[in-house]
Order: sequence, then C-alpha cells, then structure tokens
Amino acid sequence: MDLRKLKKLIDLVEESGIAELEVTEGEEKVRITRVQAGGQTTYYAPQPMAQQVAVAAAPVAATPVTPAPAAAPARDDKTLVKSPMVGTFYRSANPNSKPFVEVGQSVNIGDTLCIIEAMKLMNEIESDRAGVVKAILIDNGQPVEYGEPLFVIE
Amino acid sequence: MTPLAHSVLRCLSDGAFHSGESLAQTFGCSRGTIWQAIEHLSQHLPLTIYRVRGQGYRLPHPITWLEPSAIRAGLLGDWQLEVAETIDSTNSALLTRASHGAPHRTALFAEWQTAGRGRHGRQWLAQPGAALTFSLLWRFECGVAGLSGLSLVVGLALVRVLQRLEVPVALKWPNDVLLDGEKLAGILIELSGDALGPSAVVIGIGLNLIHPTGVDQAAAGLENYPMPDRNQLAALLLNELDQVLGQFAKHGFAAFRAEWEASHAWQHQAVDIISAYRPPQPGIALGVDNEGALRLQLGDGQEKLIHAGEVSLRRTLAHS
Repeated sequence: MDLRKLKKLIDLVEESGIAELEVTEGEEKVRITRVQAGGQTTYYAPQPMAQQVAVAAAPVAATPVTPAPAAAPARDDKTLVKSPMVGTFYRSANPNSKPFVEVGQSVNIGDTLCIIEAMKLMNEIESDRAGVVKAILIDNGQPVEYGEPLFVIE
Repeated sequence: MTPLAHSVLRCLSDGAFHSGESLAQTFGCSRGTIWQAIEHLSQHLPLTIYRVRGQGYRLPHPITWLEPSAIRAGLLGDWQLEVAETIDSTNSALLTRASHGAPHRTALFAEWQTAGRGRHGRQWLAQPGAALTFSLLWRFECGVAGLSGLSLVVGLALVRVLQRLEVPVALKWPNDVLLDGEKLAGILIELSGDALGPSAVVIGIGLNLIHPTGVDQAAAGLENYPMPDRNQLAALLLNELDQVLGQFAKHGFAAFRAEWEASHAWQHQAVDIISAYRPPQPGIALGVDNEGALRLQLGDGQEKLIHAGEVSLRRTLAHS
C-alpha cells in the first residue's frame, strides 16, 4: 500500500467521521483509528514499509498491524463498496467517456459505479445502496485485489 | 435501411451480376429507384458493390444469411435463438435482456452491428456476411470471483472448432484467436453479479470469415480454408461453447489449463504486457495458472501473475 493510498484512507476517515477503518490488501493491513481532538497524532505506514509519516494537527492515527492471518476477515464497513474480484479498476466505459461517478454525486441502487476488468471479463460494479459518493479510493487503471474497498457511499 | 434496399441486398447475395433493369422488373420500380437503393446500401453499410456497365451490380462474394431454423438444425442443446438484421450491439442488447430475466442459454446473432464494441469501447466492424457476430447469455450459480479463467475457455472453445476444421489457429492471452499471428476472432465478456452469485454473463464473439478492411489493427480471415456455411458454423460454435461452459461451471479453469497452453501462440516467448495506464512490462510468457492468469517471468527470474493488460510479442533483436 503506498503513501498516497494511505493518505486517501486517512482523509476518508477524517471526512466521514467514522471511528475506525481497517483495510486489508494482500498481506498488508492497516487500521486507522480516530482519537480525541488534542490527543497525540502519529502516523505509521503499514508493514513492511516501516516508514513513519508525521502529519500535524489532524485527529486521526494510523496504527500498523502485522499481516492478518488468512482466517481473519477484514471488518465489514457498511459504507464501503468492495471489489468482488482481482482485476483492473476503470472509472469509465472507455478512455474517452466520462467517469460513471464523481465524488459528491448521488447514486441509486443499481447505478454503475465502475468496471473491474480481469482477463477481458468486464464486470460492471453496481451500487447496492443509495447515497452520496464520499470517496473514490482507487485511481483509474490501477490493479485491485479481491475485497479491496473501491468507494465510500453514505 | 429502406425495405427496397434490403430486398435488393438479399437479391444480390448470390454473388452473381444483376442488371438494374432486371432488378427494377423484379421489384416493380424504375431503374433510378434501384440505383438509389444501391447508393443507400453503399452509404449505410460497410459494403462494396461492384457496378459494371452492361452487366449490372454484383457483390464481391456471395453471402449466406443467418437463419434461425438453419442454425437450430445443427444444435445439440436447447437454446433460445434469435437473429437480428441490424442491432447496435449484441452484447448491449443481451445485457439489457439479462436484467429483464432472459433465460440461460440465450444466443443473439446479428448480421451487422452499428455499434459493435470491443474492449474499452473499441469499435468492432463487420461487413454483412463477412463475419459471425453473436452474443450469448450464460447464467452461472457462482459469484464473479469464481469466473476467473472464463475468458480463456471461451477462446479455447473457438480454437477447438476451428482446429477441427483444420485451421491452424492459436490463442493470445487472454482470449484472442490468432491465425498466422493476426487476429481472427475477438471476445468480450460483460457481466453483472456480485461476489457471491449468481452471475449473468454475456459473452460476445466476433469471428472474421473474410479478412476485414478498414480496421485499425492487423486482422485475419478464413477465405483460404474450406468452411461450412455460416449457419452450420454458428451451430458448431454454440455446441462447443455449450460443452465447454458446462464443464467450466463444474470444474473451473484448471481442467482446461494444459489444453490452453498447448494452443498458446506465444508460450515461452518474450512479450510485453501493455496497459493504458502503466509502462509496458517485459518478460517471458511461461503459460497460465489454474485461474487463467498469465505467468510472466521477469528479468530477475521472478514470476509474476498478470490479470489484466494486453500481451504483445516482443521482437527481440538477435544476439550478435
């Protein structure tokens, strides 16, 4: 998991106001917990990068977690739309068309959010809830893992 | 297309010359009206019509039109079958029908598509009669995560049929069918479903019978191979797909892996993995794994599994 993604996750926790977010990606796992305002804030990148990132004055802390045992499922967060398969994330039907959704947009159940491609199998991911797209967690054209969070919809 | 233009095209499909006068007589109109109908066809279809003074109009090659009854005569299994004359895209149409409850094993053929699509919205062009373009709907019990390798087995079904007809085709990962190194058939699979299932899968197939012109990538055709007529070939393909998809639903890709690798065009060759959003990745194509992912050997000897992107054969310079 790179720092950009980590920052996105931290921003996400801040914006959404949720107390804790845990994301598992391959063998890496990160848990981000909000602490009371005024508390000490320290950020850690997930193992095995072991880099420390200090960001001032934000009431969020990221705690490194050792790789999860295979049997332990990641916490299911009801606001997250996750990838049902390993593949490549596309925000639009083709490179020339506009993205299916943007941050801030309202979506209904059944609206297409993105396409995940694996070996020329194009899977249109539809929203299973109505709400507002709070965050898009993956960049266009990036690989995604099974179960990886793609969108936050509240 | 106007009804007259359509009738004229049907008449010309025998590949013989038809004079303007005889066509005018057949359809009870003037030669000028026939001329307009010919103009209409040339403008609206990717179609060449030869016009020879004193002889009349002729198509470059005869066209056997698809007939549901003729396809059905060759089918072993039970299919919901339809032939559309003109359609925007068989995949789009079938996806819509799938969401409205169209049954498992529905096949939709089109004589031509006005908005045929390839991957990422690339246009797929077919002249009338020069290709077989169709989509089929297959409903799987499993979720989408269980469908990895599906792309590859669909390509393999096409290869089985064509190899039996003595066409020396090979597969390019994940599922292009190549003849003499050029693309003969393309497959686009679209689906809706979730991780747990069931999944409605629409498989779109375009197979060139005649070498297409005006496409932006090198392509192959089957002109030099004796082929059954289009209806018989359609039935052969559906029968094979029926068998392969049924077996895939039960056993997954692992059962097909060795057979796929035996027809892999670039097994153990130097390739680049091309992706629109990332730099090309060079390596050696070692084959595929039990899920259908491409096994790529990197420069440092490590093996990486590739799930997306296009493979292109690297023309390495000979060592001097």
